[in-house]
Amino acid sequence: MTSKQWTVNSKNMQPSPTEHGALSAVHLIARLIVGGVLLYAGYMKAVGPLAEFAGSIEGYKILPPAMITPLSQVIPWIEMWVGLFILTGYYTRLAAGAATFMFLTFIGALGSALFRHLNLHSCGCFGYDSLSPRYTILGDIVLLALSLKLFFKLYKHPRWDLDSWLNRL
Amino acid sequence: MSSKRLLTGLVLMALPVIAVYAVKQTEWGPILATPPARQIGNPQAKITIVEYSDFQCPSCAYMQPTVHNFLDMYKGKVRVAYKYFPLTRIHKNAMNSAHAAECAAQQNKFWPYADQLFSTQSKWEALADPTTSFMAIAQSAQLDASLFTACYADPAKLQNIERDMEEGRERQINATPTFFVGDVRLVGGVFATDGARTIEQELRK
Repeated sequence: MTSKQWTVNSKNMQPSPTEHGALSAVHLIARLIVGGVLLYAGYMKAVGPLAEFAGSIEGYKILPPAMITPLSQVIPWIEMWVGLFILTGYYTRLAAGAATFMFLTFIGALGSALFRHLNLHSCGCFGYDSLSPRYTILGDIVLLALSLKLFFKLYKHPRWDLDSWLNRL
Repeated sequence: MSSKRLLTGLVLMALPVIAVYAVKQTEWGPILATPPARQIGNPQAKITIVEYSDFQCPSCAYMQPTVHNFLDMYKGKVRVAYKYFPLTRIHKNAMNSAHAAECAAQQNKFWPYADQLFSTQSKWEALADPTTSFMAIAQSAQLDASLFTACYADPAKLQNIERDMEEGRERQINATPTFFVGDVRLVGGVFATDGARTIEQELRK
């Protein structure tokens, strides 16, 4: 969305410096939360034995066995890269789109496990010390909402992001 | 894409790789010898499957028939060594059940006792005091009741369990069941899906 569109959406009014600061802060906070959670989740899985994450994926009984080990090796890296891109504001919109897809997948997997009454003692989201699926799904819904906010980029002038900095160079 | 943008992306992608490999543990402590009473299968077998398990863990109970299937499928070629790894933080009777199994091991009846602990898990897991259930299993597994009772009352018998737990922690075990087929770690249901292939790979070495 361009700044021109912002003006239209805001009933032909430019944001005041106060509104500007507030929107910028909200955008930054959303980036810090979504990016930080993804980066932490990927890092915790990647530094531990990847076989444990494979065991967690298998527990959901969704994927064919041949896909479990390769996915367990790839997902932590994707989480870390997407998380770091969002955190630093590098291709924020694209990374937020990837995060949206990931959170939708996680919510689908967790919802399916809860629906089937699978006995998952941990969601496997943060390596070993993970939350129960019931709590995780609520957290994922919040993260999905924040990712959607970043993806639709309701605010055009974010602070502290690499995209703006690179554009100025 | 400008070269500055590309370079920035490459730096961002390299950062997690550096951070992970700086701290990632790739070698673990040794697997110490398991007492013969807690081993099953051919003692001279080429492959040793080491199982870190918790008697109160539902996945461990679910996986136990798979352990016996592999022992049958690869008769003479594999043996299984059981290591205690009770998840005491989430399973209130995990330590008690491991203690009871250790008492069965003292009478060389570990495996029949362990199999019954797993198969009756739903009956004792929620009990405030599962002693009566453990005694009933001891009777069913034809253990000497007085020796079992004395052993179960002796906290010194917990030492073997604590030693296994310490070894497991040093090997970064956090979830049960965790199996090692040679050096290959298989966690949870992956043992059922990838176990046979891994055993065959190890046999070919």
